[in-house]
Amino acid sequence: MFSRPTTEQLLAGIAEELRTVVASEVQTETTKIMLQQIDQILMGCSRRAAHEIAWVHEEAEKIGALTGKPIGKPASLHLEDVLAWYHQVSSLLSDEVGAAFRSGDQGRIDAVKEVLDARSAIEMQVLGALELVGRG
Amino acid sequence: MLHLEEMPQRVKAFFEKVEPTWKNVSVEKYEVMTGGYSRLLARADVAHDGVVSTFVLRGDPPADKSLLYTSRVQEYELLRTVGDAGVRTPHAVYFDATGEDLGTLAIVMDFSQSTSFLPYVAAGNSIDGLNIRLAEAIASYQSIPISALPASMERPASWDAYMTKRINSWREASNNHVESLPVFHYVAEWLDAHRPPPAPLVLMHGDFQCANVMVTADGHIEVIDWELAGIGDPREDIGYFKAVSQASPPDLLGDDGIEGFCARYRELTGLNELQVNPATVAYFLVLGVVGTVEQLMQGGAAWAKGENHLFNSVFNLSSVLFGQSMWLDFLGQLSEPMKQIAAAANGGK
Repeated sequence: MFSRPTTEQLLAGIAEELRTVVASEVQTETTKIMLQQIDQILMGCSRRAAHEIAWVHEEAEKIGALTGKPIGKPASLHLEDVLAWYHQVSSLLSDEVGAAFRSGDQGRIDAVKEVLDARSAIEMQVLGALELVGRG
Repeated sequence: MLHLEEMPQRVKAFFEKVEPTWKNVSVEKYEVMTGGYSRLLARADVAHDGVVSTFVLRGDPPADKSLLYTSRVQEYELLRTVGDAGVRTPHAVYFDATGEDLGTLAIVMDFSQSTSFLPYVAAGNSIDGLNIRLAEAIASYQSIPISALPASMERPASWDAYMTKRINSWREASNNHVESLPVFHYVAEWLDAHRPPPAPLVLMHGDFQCANVMVTADGHIEVIDWELAGIGDPREDIGYFKAVSQASPPDLLGDDGIEGFCARYRELTGLNELQVNPATVAYFLVLGVVGTVEQLMQGGAAWAKGENHLFNSVFNLSSVLFGQSMWLDFLGQLSEPMKQIAAAANGGK
């Protein structure tokens, strides 16, 4: 398979074309708004495509270390298998959140928060700048 | 409502039916409006007896294009109630309760001459004093007795029961989603561990945000889009307004506006300083978004499973992603103030 241009580049390129070429040809307000939404989603997809599988593994390792529970591994590196595994590992983290608060141990709560903050930082990297196009 | 070729005739026939005394009814203009994420919106200029009246049609989209599932019947009843109570909101005049006339269940409202808040700000208008007007707008609909609200609206058994259910909604939003959402579980546990002093339950708008308020010609706040209204804690709408303002400034309840807002709101509602202050507003900034978050997550999950094809369902997940970052940040800052408020409410320090 051709691997370059990368998926990240292709999606960013499509977004750029829509923004600079197609947008000026669009006449209706509703379609213009949809195009801006598509632009934001495409740029997020571009950023995800470059790092998604690595990010999931990196976070899973942190969750394993936090909970002390075996996290296993995905059935394959195909995205569907990786995400099914990530869901299981995320469930371990969700359970740990409840257990930490029930324990009343502030150190345990803070450790959970640290993993969640790291997760959120990745999500914000994917999101980029949020513009609520179409509201108001 | 989106079929521009047939809607003028449908609208004309509708008005001839609901206003049989009107003569020479015609539809001068019909156009689809932007701004509604969940409902179809259209504007119709209807001429009769030598005058032209402008109306807004607000109707349900087709099932596979639906983001939120809410009752138009309840919304219409509520619009009539809040309108009769003097709340500044576009008056609901008619209702196609079957969809036979307008093609879908649709409320027909007066067209508001007010300016949407964000364009009002973008045009360079001053926002001085709008935090006070905001307090007055919220207090105006929260003063409606619960007994006067539509019977179809759920009445919580108590404030504690309401809060427990609301907080648990965060856990359910994760459990019902297509993947586990640990941040939602963290939010639920934190909110449960830091409950504020209770307050009497009131009518809650449910989506009280900058996109759903308008500024009247005389500088007051007009409220639109009541489809998510319910009965709940009075501080939820305040927190929710602030939450959305974080993502879509300006924030009328920012550092410059929050104290004045709280003072005016307490004056109008009789709530005290332990119940309404910047910290409890921030608490409800997080709690108050759960209803919308649930709906948005359901939309995103349905899209992921191929059960709906509304692109907004995907786009709106971006708001939740942004929100997660903000909630984690806020909760970290709020732990100590909420502990102090709880101690003061319990009579100690």
